[in-house]
Amino acid sequence: MAELLCTENLCRQFGGVMATNRVCFSVDTRGLRSIIGPNGAGKTTFINIVTGKIGASSGKIFFKGQDITNKPTHELVKMGICRTFQINSIFENLSVFENLRIARQAQKGGSLRIFSSKQSLRAVTEDTWALVERFGLKDLAARPAKNLAYGDQRVLEVAIALSGDPKILFLDEPTAGMSPAETRQISKLIKELANEICVVLVEHDMDMVMSISDRITVLQYGCTIAEGTPEEIRNNQQVREAYLGKEE
Amino acid sequence: MNHTATIPGIKQGLHPLKILIIILILLGLGIFPFVFENRFYISLITEMMIYGLLAMSLDVLLGYTGALSFMHNAYLGISAYVVGLFLIHVSPTSLWLACFAGIAFTTIVALPVGWVQVRTGGLAFALLTLAFGMMFYTIVWKWYSVTGGDDGLMGMPNPDITLFGWHLGSSSDPVAIYLFTLVIAFICFVLTRRIINSPFGAVLEAIRENENRAAFVGINVRRYKLLGWMLACILASISGALFILYKGYIGPSTMSAFAGAGVLMMVLLGGMGSLWGAFVGAALFIYIQDYISTMSEHWEIYLGLVVIFLVLFLPTGFVGLGDHLKRFRKG
Repeated sequence: MAELLCTENLCRQFGGVMATNRVCFSVDTRGLRSIIGPNGAGKTTFINIVTGKIGASSGKIFFKGQDITNKPTHELVKMGICRTFQINSIFENLSVFENLRIARQAQKGGSLRIFSSKQSLRAVTEDTWALVERFGLKDLAARPAKNLAYGDQRVLEVAIALSGDPKILFLDEPTAGMSPAETRQISKLIKELANEICVVLVEHDMDMVMSISDRITVLQYGCTIAEGTPEEIRNNQQVREAYLGKEE
Repeated sequence: MNHTATIPGIKQGLHPLKILIIILILLGLGIFPFVFENRFYISLITEMMIYGLLAMSLDVLLGYTGALSFMHNAYLGISAYVVGLFLIHVSPTSLWLACFAGIAFTTIVALPVGWVQVRTGGLAFALLTLAFGMMFYTIVWKWYSVTGGDDGLMGMPNPDITLFGWHLGSSSDPVAIYLFTLVIAFICFVLTRRIINSPFGAVLEAIRENENRAAFVGINVRRYKLLGWMLACILASISGALFILYKGYIGPSTMSAFAGAGVLMMVLLGGMGSLWGAFVGAALFIYIQDYISTMSEHWEIYLGLVVIFLVLFLPTGFVGLGDHLKRFRKG
């Protein structure tokens, strides 16, 4: 399968700390890749660099062969690089529908129409309804996003990211704070998505990671220490040491 | 209608009752100067409408884009000076050309200022508006040969006001300037409302709600913040053109930080994010100011107390009053 996104010796320094240290990472156009590692391993920092939230200190990022290092976020999103956040990042006082509609509008265009109504962007409205139905948010569509239950907000967070038609979707701990039932639902959704697009998952729930990932990358102190199938990672000595400490 | 073409929470068209209220307000304001020939009140309402327009322009920024401008009166001032200077030095009768010059000049000044400001966020943005505002204030105050410095701009001619071929009279006639202000302010209100409800307005609201997420759905946040800023400054410049025609004079105090805080209070009094609330806020502010100043020289103190009271007990401003009453009745 074709390579969709790759990084070459990607680095990010915070003061004296190398939060991301010469990471070489590559993913294909489809499939589910997980990034795991102990707390402070630099997983979120890595996603932040690739999605343009923060700049890279050195190294390069390529998307479909094109150099996208340090491009602004909104351009990356338009190319199809979308993400969710560990802590919900939604438009709290806007309705659930508007949360998705604005995301769809930003992707499809028409934002400079200053004298038209929102309804005049018909395709945007229709697409939004389809999204609302797909994520089971129809009954909540008119509610302000802040009034949703936490689990529903988490679903909305994923739905917003998906309304941009991503080619690659970064999910930063999507199940954080969710009940086991909700976690199962989300992991089913993630699995389905991975059949269509490339999904990169940062997750602490090891059962989930091991059961649904196609491949896993392990980070520690900003460096890649292992990469392979769930089976290979499970049996990797270095990974065990990173999580459990060295045996004396 | 196919349900997929509708957007929840957005009604098609205006409620008939709302249209009726708008027509009644317009009619009332329209016949007011002919029924009550009290020049003082005609002028007071003119001032309310001009400051209402300025406060509305600040509401576009504060209530919709989520950016705070401490000295939005600077852009009223710049425009007022340019319109005045144009009428004095270039052509004393070309009213529309003078207004156009004022709006165009303000736009040209506001563009680089906005370009710098949108590169920051939150408090830094607000502090920059203060810094630029102080700078403009000082320029106007010190550039005596052009602006008249402390004395203000003197010798304004009184051009004839013609609107859509309808001759209203000289700008020194309070009724003519009253009607002119009413029509212009209403057109600005309708257009701004339309813009705020457009896809463009939706982008501004998304930025207000969450800049981070806005960027991560593909919105160029700086660009749209700059456009929001420009819209707010252009509206402010229109209020500036009306201001100089109404007063026939402008001095640096109109551009002071103190006056800027007043505009901010108008928006807070009326309630953010409704546009019409800004007009109500401006009317309340100017009325209270006028009323208290007839009783005490130190009207600022009492006005301050009123504002403190309102912020504490009615934080959503006049616009939120309805909701408060509803909750109160339900217990």
